[in-house]
Amino acid sequence: MSDDLLLEITNLKKWFPIKEGLLSQTRRYVRADDGVSLNVTRGETLGIVGESGCGKTTLGRVLMGLIPITSGSVRYSGEDIRRIPNKEIRRKMQIVFQDPGGSMNPRMSVRSIVGEPLLVNGISDGVDLTHKVEELLDSVGLKKEHMTRFPHEFSGGQKQRIALARALSLNPEFILLDEPTSALDVSVQAQVLNLLQSIQRSMDLTFVFISHDLAVVRHISDRVAVMYLGKIVELADADEIYRNPRHAYTKVLISAIPKPDPSAKRDSILVEGDVPSPIDPPPGCAFGHRLQHPEWEKSVDMDLSLREVSPGHWVQPCPCCTKDLSDQVIEELDPIQSKGSSETPE
Amino acid sequence: MSENLLEIRGLKVHFDTLDGPVEALNSVDLDVKRKQVMGLVGESGCGKSVTSLVTIGLATCEVDEGSVKYEGEELVFQEPESTKRIKGISSSIVVISVLMSIFGFFWMILINPLHGMDLFLGSLLVSAAAWGGGFYYSSDSRKHERFMRWVRGNEISMIFQEPMTALNPLYSVEKQISEVMREHNRLVEPETPMMNRIGQALVSPFTLFYRTIEAKPKSSTLIISILAFVVAAHRLGFAESAKPLSLAFIAVFPIYYLITFGTSGEDISGAKKAMLGPMEGELSAGVTMDRINPISGTKESEYVSMPGFIVNPLWEGAVYSMPGVFVGGAVSLVVYLMLWMPFSSLMGLAVVCTLLALPVIIYLDFLRLDPAHSRQVSEILEDVRIPNPAEVVKMYPHELSGGMRQRVMIGMMMSCEPKLLIADEPTTALDVTIQAQILKLMRDLRDEMETSILLITHDLGVIAGMCDEVTVMYAGRVVERASVDELFANPLHAYTRGLIACTPNIESTRKSILPSIPGQVANPSDFVNGCRFCQRMERTGETVTIRPEMIEHSAGHWVEACPICLDADEDKWE
Repeated sequence: MSDDLLLEITNLKKWFPIKEGLLSQTRRYVRADDGVSLNVTRGETLGIVGESGCGKTTLGRVLMGLIPITSGSVRYSGEDIRRIPNKEIRRKMQIVFQDPGGSMNPRMSVRSIVGEPLLVNGISDGVDLTHKVEELLDSVGLKKEHMTRFPHEFSGGQKQRIALARALSLNPEFILLDEPTSALDVSVQAQVLNLLQSIQRSMDLTFVFISHDLAVVRHISDRVAVMYLGKIVELADADEIYRNPRHAYTKVLISAIPKPDPSAKRDSILVEGDVPSPIDPPPGCAFGHRLQHPEWEKSVDMDLSLREVSPGHWVQPCPCCTKDLSDQVIEELDPIQSKGSSETPE
Repeated sequence: MSENLLEIRGLKVHFDTLDGPVEALNSVDLDVKRKQVMGLVGESGCGKSVTSLVTIGLATCEVDEGSVKYEGEELVFQEPESTKRIKGISSSIVVISVLMSIFGFFWMILINPLHGMDLFLGSLLVSAAAWGGGFYYSSDSRKHERFMRWVRGNEISMIFQEPMTALNPLYSVEKQISEVMREHNRLVEPETPMMNRIGQALVSPFTLFYRTIEAKPKSSTLIISILAFVVAAHRLGFAESAKPLSLAFIAVFPIYYLITFGTSGEDISGAKKAMLGPMEGELSAGVTMDRINPISGTKESEYVSMPGFIVNPLWEGAVYSMPGVFVGGAVSLVVYLMLWMPFSSLMGLAVVCTLLALPVIIYLDFLRLDPAHSRQVSEILEDVRIPNPAEVVKMYPHELSGGMRQRVMIGMMMSCEPKLLIADEPTTALDVTIQAQILKLMRDLRDEMETSILLITHDLGVIAGMCDEVTVMYAGRVVERASVDELFANPLHAYTRGLIACTPNIESTRKSILPSIPGQVANPSDFVNGCRFCQRMERTGETVTIRPEMIEHSAGHWVEACPICLDADEDKWE
């Protein structure tokens, strides 16, 4: 089983120091990721969902080795990622960003954008490079005539295909997809999602798919991790987590998905306020604190590490969010009552 | 009073580009009924936003034909051809005669004063007359512009997709909302009379001084006593001998810092905990946290701040007092300079600084918002469910989260109680939970204030949850229009079916191939005359050349009747 583990993340923390005061002393930290443990199996797609500011993107960057780790460890095929030379990591792990236009040099042609990784790593150049780029463009559904064009000549969906071709150029084992479809129209989004799935099958890739769109994550992922304020609150099979969510935050997220069906009941559970600032996060269960749950205080001294409730379904145990009663409590929660203290903006 | 609040009929617009005119809308019909939410769906580049911008008169395109009627009033103003020609002629006459007058001026001073004078004055007179004529003929368009200014805000308001770019980052929330209200005369009578405001502003430097002392007594006392010491030293003539004394601050501040922060257990030591926290027990460099005390044999825990670095009391003292060294150094340098320079220069410096600062302080105080207006703004923010409105009004846009900013935008636009709200992708940039909050807010506002909403979005989920009627646009044309239940139950046009099919659904089969509409919207300059969706599907035949008509398929369900697109069996999704 351990051979199948591609990524092993243990109690990962990433804190960003805030420099303030006269001499920019570090007095406080933004706790972007605060103790995340995850395993990614070879060949699977792991979806990570959560609201903005919950540390999804930071987690992605940390596990790519793009920013240093504060504490904890990330192991890639059993080896600590900090000990693998940078050049080797980049060959195995690639990333596709949200804004395809922003991640490409506007003065480079598609051939040089897609071929640059091959050139830098000394894999091919000249005519050989042109042939390789041709194959890559073909694999993402672009034509070889596109090779001489520049990024601004393409639509959003095509740019995302180019970004994908660039990520595929070194034949990686792992691709991190950081909100790859958020900037796209629905029909183009469907095209890109189909492309991702077919590439994954044909090239035997492992994906980590970060998104705030729960319907998209469910469609493409095998397992889904729900993050809230730097912590994973629930992790399970995609079907399981949508059919049988256990944590109150997951329930809120799922109920908030707009359904393309006018007859569907508009019964979304509304939560007041935004994600609190990760600078001074509340102790204990952060979501219980946002709900101003009466039993939140009990969670302060509890061990909130994930528990397995059924095979493969991990939930953060806390008296406020995972009790079966919590549903009713959320609905009964008077919105006026929860105005005030906790929802002040940062 | 007709049933429709907004009626767009046969709207056709184009943009003038360097490559010639590009058609953006082609006979668009759209109705927004009273107290209803009309949804406008389509991909990017299909003309949703252009339609809304033409409606409120902010579009930069040329309207070829069609009308936009709001409560029976025409919002699109088309100047007659003759007026346009007259304005063109008058402006060219103005340019030519101004050039002539410059020529005449130089002739006057260089060659012949009399002839030059004639040319100079004559051409100035001609340009003034031509400008006056043009001004007279543009009176209609100026009148229309005034009318549109009244309509925008009072009658029709718009909220945009990205609230950060729609709000001004330099002004606080209350300033921006009150500006809108002042523009539309919605502000209440100010609480303080004008003369009192001026008086308050004039004494505001003293008020500011007093408040500073009140807020920070310790540092103010220190600064004032240092200044008093410097002045006394200069006047009593011991400035030269007191210079070495100023260096004492380098020693005083570290000790002060050490005593204050080192013993109080606050401030920096809180940071110390934060600094040590993430390292507890799991140091990657391999230094163990616990060690056995060799004398007592008990386990002691050692704090480790950095890999391989062990904190001891000496180091801790240095950490606390180190900032004091820098602060003390800076203070002593300033005091040394003040003692070093002649007294007259010091006073001159002080007077110049004061003179430069005073007008700004006074003017800024005069610009302060009246308390009555401030309260009015917080009431509006309370209406859009912002917690703590009294604090939020003082904040700047960057201090607010995305959902709060969008609420401020909605509050700003509701402040003038418009009858029609145009929301251009209001929730696209927001998280699902915040999106649900904003949509609920918009529903509530519609119910309370009976506002009609034109909701532009590409998310069919939002449409299904919000709208009463839906208009589907494709490539600058309306392809289908129906009530929301009818549209989702019985989508007639292939494009509508495609949009519904390609939306990922939480009930669909996971990992299946999502149906997707092949290709993309054609470039506006390549649009065909016939059915443009057939163009996208790369069909040939007469549907691509002959424009299909809009037919009423069933009561209230209009569709562009392209025979191939209406046939569900012809749908070929990838």
